Amino acid sequence: MKIQSWATSRWVIVPGGMTLFTLIWLAYVAGHNHGIVDGRVVDAAGQPVSGASVLLFERGFVTHQERGHATSDAQGMFRFTDNRSHSIQLEAEAPGRGRTDRRIVRLWFAAQDVKLAEPLRFAAVK
Amino acid sequence: MTRDAKLLVSARHLTLMVISFAMLVPFYWVTRTAVTNENIYAYPPSLLPRDAHLFNFVDVWYLIPFPRYLVNSVIVSTIAVIGNVIFNAMAGYALTRQFTGRRVVLALFLSCMLIPFQATIIPAYLITARMGLLNTYLGLAFPMLSTIVCIFVFKSAFEAVPKSLVDAARIDGLTEWRIIVRVLLPLSKPAIATNVILTFIWSWNNFLWPLLITRDPNMQTLPLGLARFLSYMEDTTGALYAFAVMVLAPSILVFLMAQKEFIRGLTSGATKG
Repeated sequence: MKIQSWATSRWVIVPGGMTLFTLIWLAYVAGHNHGIVDGRVVDAAGQPVSGASVLLFERGFVTHQERGHATSDAQGMFRFTDNRSHSIQLEAEAPGRGRTDRRIVRLWFAAQDVKLAEPLRFAAVK
Repeated sequence: MTRDAKLLVSARHLTLMVISFAMLVPFYWVTRTAVTNENIYAYPPSLLPRDAHLFNFVDVWYLIPFPRYLVNSVIVSTIAVIGNVIFNAMAGYALTRQFTGRRVVLALFLSCMLIPFQATIIPAYLITARMGLLNTYLGLAFPMLSTIVCIFVFKSAFEAVPKSLVDAARIDGLTEWRIIVRVLLPLSKPAIATNVILTFIWSWNNFLWPLLITRDPNMQTLPLGLARFLSYMEDTTGALYAFAVMVLAPSILVFLMAQKEFIRGLTSGATKG
């Protein structure tokens, strides 16, 4: 079957390819932008920490503002369901344990669902 | 080919490669900074990107209304390109015809090319304001709707078409409009490509005119957005360079797609025979 010459033109292939890529990307974004951030809080030995207060900071133009708060469960798991940003920081705090380092989490699009690969870890209590 | 001639060709190619490389260095440096967070004043600078990532582009997309600027730039450039092809083709065709005062018109056009846009920007602003086009897409594209350089590109392309072909079309009953659309434009694709590329790049990079006539931040184009972004960031971070790459990319893409016709369009009429 002969392909029409206009169909093989770069003026059709390049914009068409870009449009197709954009549509696929938008479809992927639409299915993964619920604003869910899952993670875990552990102590220095890697044991889950329950009842830790986890703060979510959202990136502004030059600073980060606190936007959310969650508490870890018995397995040390926590979940945010309303993140709307593309760049966040997470920090956990618990009585007697101090604070964890702030974890920078950069996302590919706003409100991307994400699960932290590495847990938030408290330093050893001295 | 003798050995000396081969050496000469190799030396010429080597020189051209070095010059090309030198010209690409700024583009490489901008791109490298865009995918890292390295300060451009860091010393010693790293030639290859370290810890490269694309998150700076994501920052640009969300920290400022980039999609809005992009849409504005696309609309304005499209209007400018369409206007240029239509009006310049008409003017170019008129200049291939014989009429009283043709030489005066040509001289006037050529002399107007000597006047910089900055010198005529106040009258251009007043005319645009009188027409009620301030803060509109048409107003943003208005001074770019016809450019003298591109009129001459069409003129030389139309002059390269055999006169007998135009005469035959006229005998067949085609009107002047249809001669342009049906005969001359299909034979002048390189000229059209040259018009498209030049107008697109000029309109895309235009800063001063949009700065003057836009009142609403939602009507701003990408170069204005870049200036706004620079005023916020005030440092040499990767996000700023990511923005520069995102502004540059469409015009480079359009140029790469039409470069063959572009070069042919610029050189048509340059040689006889």
